[in-house]
Amino acid sequence: MTYMTQSSLDTRSGTPGRAVLPGRSLMRYGFFLLIAVVFVIFALLRPTFVAPGNIHGMLMSASIAALMFLGLTWLIAAGEIDVSFMSVAALANMTVAGLVSSGAGWPLATLGGLAIGAVFGGLNAGLVAWLRLPALVITIASGALAASIAAAIGLGTSISLSTTGFVGGFLDLRVGILPVLALAVAALYAGAWLAQERLTFGRYIYAMEQNRAAVEEAGVPVNRLLFVLFLLSGLMSSLSGVLLAANLSSGQPYLGTSYFLDGLTAVLLGGMALKFGKPNVLGTLAAVIFLTGLLNGAALLGWTDSQRQIVRGSLLLIGVGLVVFARARTRKRHPA
Amino acid sequence: MTRSALLVRILAFVGVVCVIALLFWSQNPAFLSTGNIRALLRHMSVNGLAALGLTFVIVVRHYDLSFPGVASFGAMTMGWLIAVGQPLAVAIGGGLFVGLLFGLANGAMVARFKLPDIVTTIATGGLAIGFSYFYSNGTSISKNFFMSGLLDINDGRFLGMDRPFAILLGAALLGGLILHGSRFGRAFYATGENPVSAYYSGVPVRAMIAAAFAICGLCACLSIVLLVASSGAANVSAGTQLLMPAFAAVYLGSALFGRTSIPATLAGTMMMSLMLNGFTLLAIPYFYSDAIVSTVLILAIAGFDPRVSGAIRAALSRKETLA
Repeated sequence: MTYMTQSSLDTRSGTPGRAVLPGRSLMRYGFFLLIAVVFVIFALLRPTFVAPGNIHGMLMSASIAALMFLGLTWLIAAGEIDVSFMSVAALANMTVAGLVSSGAGWPLATLGGLAIGAVFGGLNAGLVAWLRLPALVITIASGALAASIAAAIGLGTSISLSTTGFVGGFLDLRVGILPVLALAVAALYAGAWLAQERLTFGRYIYAMEQNRAAVEEAGVPVNRLLFVLFLLSGLMSSLSGVLLAANLSSGQPYLGTSYFLDGLTAVLLGGMALKFGKPNVLGTLAAVIFLTGLLNGAALLGWTDSQRQIVRGSLLLIGVGLVVFARARTRKRHPA
Repeated sequence: MTRSALLVRILAFVGVVCVIALLFWSQNPAFLSTGNIRALLRHMSVNGLAALGLTFVIVVRHYDLSFPGVASFGAMTMGWLIAVGQPLAVAIGGGLFVGLLFGLANGAMVARFKLPDIVTTIATGGLAIGFSYFYSNGTSISKNFFMSGLLDINDGRFLGMDRPFAILLGAALLGGLILHGSRFGRAFYATGENPVSAYYSGVPVRAMIAAAFAICGLCACLSIVLLVASSGAANVSAGTQLLMPAFAAVYLGSALFGRTSIPATLAGTMMMSLMLNGFTLLAIPYFYSDAIVSTVLILAIAGFDPRVSGAIRAALSRKETLA
């Protein structure tokens, strides 16, 4: 009897595994193929899409967005959520602008912006990781708090800056058409990929999403790990806010709204690449590049804001649907 | 909860409301004038309706982040219908239909296809905002509003109450009847507390979740009808201001009364509107309002959490024993 169930299990898990092998690698790398196809189509339709100036601009905005979404990727991978990231970026952005326009130097302003990230990251971390309060409601509230303070700094309007200081100098550095920032972000993501794939840190993140209680029972300091993740998300968001202050040479209190959908879309759509629906850093990076290219190309083709918003929403929905579909299939194939 | 504990909480709530009201009244006597109280209740009606709908979704232990976007789409749909000369009833019906449709879509995706609620509703909310740009390319609509009778919804009176407040009370009574006085209410709570055991007790779990989302979408659009009636124009960002107050009202209410319910949500809304109205009278700029609401929300959730309040109590008693 035991033998029979054993063998029937074997055939069930064995045959489909072989049969869908091409399907699996298509799912693993299909997203990268999609990016290439979309970029080629845009390049054919609008040659200015691949002009050096446009590529440089896209790389800049993709790099800044990628910084903002790094912490978010791991938070979602760990089964938590943070919807305050874009508001923290906006607040850091306005803090820098406020400090610079009131006469403080860029180094001090940068530190101030990063401190904001640490404060809000720490606030979320303390409330969600230690007190175990619901992450969504807490981050909605802390995000609204950050957005409100950001608006208050500029009394409801933006602050324009006359200098961009050493941050602006760093953003202007480039190797050929590649901004140095893009290289730095690429290096950061490579490091993050190693941490996620080679260190126990990464294992714990994915294990937490599967069964937090079990991970805790196994002796992993779950709370400390979550604390670090929320802090990281706050810090990375504020760093991108600081860079945006120099990039836009102004403080924009409402810049958060445009990053909100993009951040979640990038993480969930990116989860489809490489790891069958689990958010991962390389997937996020690829999805950020995809979204930047798509929105930029769509703008060159003259799409309206409304159409682009609908594309964003649909992509997010498709991403979520694919994640759930892919997980259901992989779980069926490898019953735990 | 025992009856006496509930009574203590109700008394505590009334006490807090009185203290807040007295504080604002001492700063600005106009706070307790009839005109201001009517303005407060009208303001409360808009936020309260959105919060009522959200209550159902929170009761089944889900989240809906799409209702602000859906409400914007509902507002623009209604505005467009009025602008092209449709009668008021059709226009309002159109706006509410949008809410119902999006709510059902959310419910189907979350309940039937098991998509994660947070991200799915963020996506449908984003879609709804995109659609709301269709009618006028993003400019606000106010054509024919004056003639259509829409503004009477805000200005008219019913049984001595302002109409918006009467609508809120009516909706709250109906909602309370469903949630606390009927089988369906039990089913909503059972679905939230343990969907598996609810399923085996014969509760149509999926239908209850879908119904909760549908009610949330419908209520958000009803609340936006009142908002548009009071402002006299429909615009694409009308709904965004509903998000924070609605979540704050539901969570503040359930923190105050220990459980998510219709009366708790009304109490939460009341407290929120009281504070926002008071701070507005003190001439505090509009961009601080979200900061006030969110600070109160964080403090309420953290302060009423059993572990936090337990820790505070333990610290206090330790101090007492030391002394």
